[in-house]
Amino acid sequence: MRDAIVFASILTMLSTGLTLTYMTTKVPNFAHGNFAAINAYFTLIIAKLLSINPYVGVVTGFFLGGAISLLLYLLVLKPLLDRGASYIILMIATIAYDMMLISTINIIADYLSRVHKITSRLFQLREWGHGIEILGQPSIFIVAPALAAFLVISLYLFMNKTKFGIAMRAAIDNPSLAETIGINVNLTYAVSWFISGGLAGVGGALAPLQMTCNTDTGTRLLISIFAASIVGGFTNIYGAFLGGFLIGLAEVLGTGFLAINFGSWVVPYRPIIPLILMALTLLFAPQGLTGISWARIFRGRKT
Amino acid sequence: MELSAISIFLTNLITLIGLFIIISLSLNLEYGYAGIPNFGKLLAVAGGAYFVGAVSGRILALAYGQPAGLGYIERNLEVVGLLNSAISSSPLQSIGFLILSIVGAAFFGGLLGYVASYPAIRLRGDYLAITLLAMGEIFWVIGDNWQPLIGGSMGVRIPDPFRWIGGEYRPLAILLTVLITAAIIFLYLEYLGRSPLGRVLKAMRENELSASVHGKDVVKLRTKTLIVGFAIAAISGALNSLWTVSVSPKDFERVRHTFMPWVMVIIGGAGNNLGAVVGAIIFVTLRELIVFYKYFFEAIIPFDVVWLEYLFMGIALIIVLMYRPEGLIPEKPTRTLSEKKIREIAARTISEKPHENS
Repeated sequence: MRDAIVFASILTMLSTGLTLTYMTTKVPNFAHGNFAAINAYFTLIIAKLLSINPYVGVVTGFFLGGAISLLLYLLVLKPLLDRGASYIILMIATIAYDMMLISTINIIADYLSRVHKITSRLFQLREWGHGIEILGQPSIFIVAPALAAFLVISLYLFMNKTKFGIAMRAAIDNPSLAETIGINVNLTYAVSWFISGGLAGVGGALAPLQMTCNTDTGTRLLISIFAASIVGGFTNIYGAFLGGFLIGLAEVLGTGFLAINFGSWVVPYRPIIPLILMALTLLFAPQGLTGISWARIFRGRKT
Repeated sequence: MELSAISIFLTNLITLIGLFIIISLSLNLEYGYAGIPNFGKLLAVAGGAYFVGAVSGRILALAYGQPAGLGYIERNLEVVGLLNSAISSSPLQSIGFLILSIVGAAFFGGLLGYVASYPAIRLRGDYLAITLLAMGEIFWVIGDNWQPLIGGSMGVRIPDPFRWIGGEYRPLAILLTVLITAAIIFLYLEYLGRSPLGRVLKAMRENELSASVHGKDVVKLRTKTLIVGFAIAAISGALNSLWTVSVSPKDFERVRHTFMPWVMVIIGGAGNNLGAVVGAIIFVTLRELIVFYKYFFEAIIPFDVVWLEYLFMGIALIIVLMYRPEGLIPEKPTRTLSEKKIREIAARTISEKPHENS
């Protein structure tokens, strides 16, 4: 249960970021999983190479993830958008960026294991996440949900209470109208990409404290992230909170439940759960949970 | 006959190029012609290979009275050894097994294409891309863990349909088989591209709405294209496993079988079969050269050089997308009439203003 909540918190941060960038640029970012994975490696460097408490990685993770994401937007996506590229071209560009990230992650991993003799494949830092206790609980169990809640609430306040946040929402809803009333659409998009990457960075920085990470962690996580965003409704930021938590819980608890009933052989098949939920959502409610008009269903389809 | 290192390298290289030409041609049909972002190429290629490992090997085992159930995996080496000696003396049965594997893999690939794309086929392309990508990953998870299918992460050995040819000529025979298959697929796709169906696909790519206004069933066209594309890519997977006489999930992974074909098609030039071929030739050659000289680099840098290749591919892809989105060989408009006839009509319609046309 604790594992489920921690995983769900991490996933919420990731899916929120993904949905945010999808809303602005209308392109699913296939590099999002590796925004997180690269920060898992920076946490490893902080903990093992610099011997500092890996929770520091959360702060650096936010800025580093944000910077990586901002680079993708400014150097790759923005020039392509200016050239009038279709969303398919943009998707391919994010995949190209993902390949560069995969390469960087593996170079870091090879470097750590060959030069510094640090286990860099299938590593984990559970001694930090579970060894240190806060209020009698493993620290990660307190920190991950608290951070997720803090980030989500501050994002909500930022989007609704600050002038810039409101401008951002306007730019998402109607870019050309927002531009005519003097909102710098490009700046708001750049900021949302930075926030998106920052959230992924925080999620990624926390990941090794909870679970075993590897060079392909980002690739594996990507399915869960997309599933969470789609189940929540790809165009609704609050849907992403919901989807992230739902998929996270379903994945861990569902696997646990099946493993108790059918034996531990089901555990490796864990990624099938988010896939099935995603497929069902796409088949029956492609707008996601937040896209369904609940009021209509409860009133009995009268309209 | 003694084969030198260079000729071994070259035969391997050309075989690999042939295999990747088949994959990038299939992606070119899906993306270049029909505009479908298939990010699940891995699913198709692995599907073809898994079929050979899991089904066609078992059919052969059944035909020779060997265990085809769980025993096929458990006593894999022994069974395959027996089967090999059984079919190596008879070319006819070997070729039969080869054809059964290829055709079966194509059918299975088509089926996978239908099933995997079904949840998202009616939605915008990005949902389809995400779904296919996820399906590919899941397929890998199943292959890696479910022992009875292809022996889990250990993989499985399969009977060799080229054994009767004899040791030194075997690589050459496989090379020819791969190249002939690739050539047939190339001609078929060229023909398809020029046919009315090919033009409808391009119309759908350019504007889905206007295609459906003109009475074309976009969903049906997309499904058909994916089935054909998956079937073609599955053939490549099947040939790959018949070449290495083994199927193992770790041979098929996302970067190699989904991203690399995309790099090939985009850089070669989408919507253009020749472009896909050129892209495949360039990238497979580059990759093999890097692997060939790996030990030379290894001494200088503290990491595996393969990763540099990924970095390079990513950068190359982004540069091409920005500065030459049409690729090395741009797409040509499809002519429905012969060059002569076009000139004739042109001469007739511009006859009021006579000037040299040739």
